[in-house]
Amino acid sequence: MFLPESMSRIVIVGANSGLDETIEVLYELESVHLIDHTVDADEGFTLGTPRPYSSKTTERLLKVRAMEKDLGINKHTKTQPISESEIRSQISSDSVETIEDEVRAILDRRNDLNQRITELNAKKKNLELLARLPIDLDLYSGYKSIGSMVGTVDKDPTQALAGMGEVFVSMDKKGASVAAVFVKNDDKSKAQTVLSECGFSEISVPEAQGSPKTALVETETQLEVLNKELAVVEKETEVLFEKHKHFLRASDEELTVDAEKGTLPIRIATTKYSYVIDAWVPTPKVDSVKSTIESRVPCTYVEIEENRGRKEKESEEKEERFKTVPTRMKHGRITKHFEYPTKMMSVPKYNEVDPTTLIAVFLPIFFGFMVGDIGYAIPFIILGAYGLRYAKNPDWRAIATVLFFGGIWAAIFGFFFFGEALGMHFVGEAAGVEYTWQSLLGLENLDKAFWWLMGGHGVHKISAEYVGMLLKLSVYVGIVHLTIGYLLAIYNKSIQYGFKHGFLEKGGAFLTFVGLVFICYAVATNLVSSSPLPESTYMGFIGVGAVILIIGIIINAKAEGAMKVVIELPDTVGNILSYTRLVAIGMSKAGMALAFNYIAIGMIAGSIDGVLGIIIGFIAFAFFQLMIWTLGIMSAGLHALRLQLVEFMVRFYEGDGIEFSPLKFKRNKIISNKNVKEA
Amino acid sequence: MAEGIGLGLMAVGAGLAVGLAGLGTGMAQKDIGAAAVGAITEDPKMMGKALMFMVLPETVVIFGLVIAILALFVLPGQLS
Repeated sequence: MFLPESMSRIVIVGANSGLDETIEVLYELESVHLIDHTVDADEGFTLGTPRPYSSKTTERLLKVRAMEKDLGINKHTKTQPISESEIRSQISSDSVETIEDEVRAILDRRNDLNQRITELNAKKKNLELLARLPIDLDLYSGYKSIGSMVGTVDKDPTQALAGMGEVFVSMDKKGASVAAVFVKNDDKSKAQTVLSECGFSEISVPEAQGSPKTALVETETQLEVLNKELAVVEKETEVLFEKHKHFLRASDEELTVDAEKGTLPIRIATTKYSYVIDAWVPTPKVDSVKSTIESRVPCTYVEIEENRGRKEKESEEKEERFKTVPTRMKHGRITKHFEYPTKMMSVPKYNEVDPTTLIAVFLPIFFGFMVGDIGYAIPFIILGAYGLRYAKNPDWRAIATVLFFGGIWAAIFGFFFFGEALGMHFVGEAAGVEYTWQSLLGLENLDKAFWWLMGGHGVHKISAEYVGMLLKLSVYVGIVHLTIGYLLAIYNKSIQYGFKHGFLEKGGAFLTFVGLVFICYAVATNLVSSSPLPESTYMGFIGVGAVILIIGIIINAKAEGAMKVVIELPDTVGNILSYTRLVAIGMSKAGMALAFNYIAIGMIAGSIDGVLGIIIGFIAFAFFQLMIWTLGIMSAGLHALRLQLVEFMVRFYEGDGIEFSPLKFKRNKIISNKNVKEA
Repeated sequence: MAEGIGLGLMAVGAGLAVGLAGLGTGMAQKDIGAAAVGAITEDPKMMGKALMFMVLPETVVIFGLVIAILALFVLPGQLS
């Protein structure tokens, strides 16, 4: 539960004739983490080459992907699953090629039509401009000594070109002014300079006879015909989409699988006739993996090389590529969801404690304590349950998990400890700006039902009576949480190097922490509390604390250096005080709720007259509560997480491990043969 | 009278504690926020980590709030 799964290293040796079968079995086992072979790691071995079927597979995969892209099929397209044997037989009977021919024919036509339509549209645009000038199209060209320039202009060039030649202009306010200029060839460059000052931009004159207006009508007719044709082709494309989407999605998946299998040999060591695969397998499964491979593939032998322990020394002796062991986090159905915050930091190392379980315990409790209100807790639980039921995205699932379990704790704290719903206590007299449900609903006997609440009405978040107790409570929670962190640091180092080394490296920090806790307790009690400690007890605490602190500092200074110790002292106190956010955030939300409820309920009760006041009051009430609730997710959620990642995990967590990623495939669109048989 | 002034000063102190700490947090979050938005634009997966860094400086304002709480609720009890 706390340490990642123990791992064994195996070596699979076999004849090249059985390689395909071995690869097949490895993927089916789903518990073999391949160790990449490095060039020159062993004499006489070279990296393998892709399987012979691989190039054909890749080619088909490319075709399928291209077709999917053209037809607009993607992973969100809903398709039906196809059985593995069926898709295999379809692929091997050249279905990909047949479908490609069919799809290509239509798509080529579509592309061709699209291109022609684009061209005609450009022509149409030019003709629309030319139609405004009183010149036939064939008159624009065919001169020996005269040059023509046609284009759009920003300013009227007639004045500037006066005397140079003939100018036809049609000005338009919307910026689509057009000009045709005819000048002698000798004056052409001069005219060009003048025109460019007028913002001239040349347009091409379509080759045609007669007036531009006739040509425009003709082009429009052509466009209409082409658009109709395009519509027909689009329909046909849609038919193709519907017809082939199941096959294309399924074959994409199947070919991806095959392509990966086909290129697997480039990660392993081979000779002319044999191959060697190094791999990590979870120790509990190693025997079954060995027997499965040996029984399924003839001429294969599996050697269990080692069961790797957690000592660093064991790893250091090994070859470079066998030094790092992949981490497989071991978790149940619920704690699994909390792997997300751990991974947010980093994947744990093979030989250190995986903090996920502890996060799963503390994160929801902290969240629940900060919310501490059954009125907000219930929507959290509902939303969380909904997310866990339907959300697929791991981010959303992680958030839903925190909301659900945190919501449950919030309900527990809200009901039994604070006695609050929507920022108002269940029972008690309405006093000043504060309302209670009892006074609002006029239930005089409600307090009898809640006799068990602390002080008869639950803990007030904002009151001098309880605030000291809450602050102390949060600091104590912090001390417990941090103690676990410090002890885990010692434990981690102990399993890596032995207890003595572990204590000398991390024990100093722990003793410093304990010493500071003693001293701070005595000092804080005498400074803040109304009943200070007796002189002897006070000195006792300070004395014991100082002794432990000094021992801690000495050990720590030896392990980490004096500088680190100086920095760490205020840091340790800061870390403990950081847990006061458990109260501070609860209080800030309670403060907001108090103010908002006072405003909204005041409106309903008649600070604005009439029905309108009541309606506005209810709307304001709903809006304010929703705001507090949303802020609850943000602040309580993030701060609960932060206490785990920053205060807690920094004590002991190193991370930087490699995740165990066995050879396997997730099938979505294909039912594997195994499943068909089972069904 | 003197007690009244003392209470008043405590309230001012509480306000200053929260206000100044809030300013400090804001200044820290300004830079982190800008960097975080940049990181998220590059890779939306950074969202979680970015949010995490965003709340780091909030410790400062929480310390301020705790001092304010002590000044408002706990110290007056000490005085009387």
